[in-house]
Amino acid sequence: MAASIRTVVFLAMVLAVGFLMIILSCVLWQNWLPLLVALTFVIAPLPNALFSHCGADEFAGTYEGASGPIDLGRFITAMIVTSGFALPIVLAHAQVIHKAACIMSIFGGGLVYGTILAYSAAFSQEESEFD
Amino acid sequence: MSLPHANYDPRRVCLNPFPEVDFSKYRRTVGVYIAGGLFALANWLFFDACILSAHAKTPWGQPDTPVPVHVTFVDWIPGLCSLLGYLVINLIDKDRIRGQDGFGDPRAVWRARLFLFIGFALMAGGVAGSVTVLVIKYIVPDHAEQFKYYGYANVSQNVALMLSVVVLWMAQNSSDEYEYNLTL
Repeated sequence: MAASIRTVVFLAMVLAVGFLMIILSCVLWQNWLPLLVALTFVIAPLPNALFSHCGADEFAGTYEGASGPIDLGRFITAMIVTSGFALPIVLAHAQVIHKAACIMSIFGGGLVYGTILAYSAAFSQEESEFD
Repeated sequence: MSLPHANYDPRRVCLNPFPEVDFSKYRRTVGVYIAGGLFALANWLFFDACILSAHAKTPWGQPDTPVPVHVTFVDWIPGLCSLLGYLVINLIDKDRIRGQDGFGDPRAVWRARLFLFIGFALMAGGVAGSVTVLVIKYIVPDHAEQFKYYGYANVSQNVALMLSVVVLWMAQNSSDEYEYNLTL
């Protein structure tokens, strides 16, 4: 129990650092476009979560998995994640934002998304213990 | 024990030096993720070119000459072709292509194959069209490298879309590989 609380606190800290990086990348150059990266990474797991309940039954899982809605959710999630990485690069390439802001926002976005992934992984592990 | 035959082939002499990692379980998932990533990457490449074109400055060192070329609707056409092909290919019922004998309408199989052909023809047309645009619009007039990038981005977009659809197709067929020996 204490371990899981420590994990949650650690993940929350990483999340905060991620958001800090993104907000710093906005503030330091007075250009608030990199904030879109945070939004992108926050909504990235949403299609996966929505469509994961549209499949057949949960025991089919990833092995069978021959259902369109789940694949669609994964496809959209992958699209949004790639967009989250591509957006600051494109903005920096068009010289709308500074290069350092691009790197910082990508790093921060990666931290945010990694936190979400790690959190959901920890949760699903706990759920499977009670099966 | 229902291990595949290859795992304890009695004729095998050498040990398999690679650790036994079962990717087949996650192949579909990983394939779909990669396909989605490639799809987004393709479109971002093209949007990058569009944004650069909208922000385009004059060639380096010549501040007075106007920008010679922009991304126009012509550049969008190959990508739109590829996207249409993407839709067509993914709307096909995969079981129809295989055409089990004694099951279903043989004419439906024929029609499904025709749709698959149209889809891949659209995608190949997109790639060919993007190369055409690159050559005619950017290479033959010999624009600066800065502007040739638009053409390269267009070609990359269409090639990435093609790769994406191939990966998606393989991923969605892979779950049936134990039952069917797909030769497509």
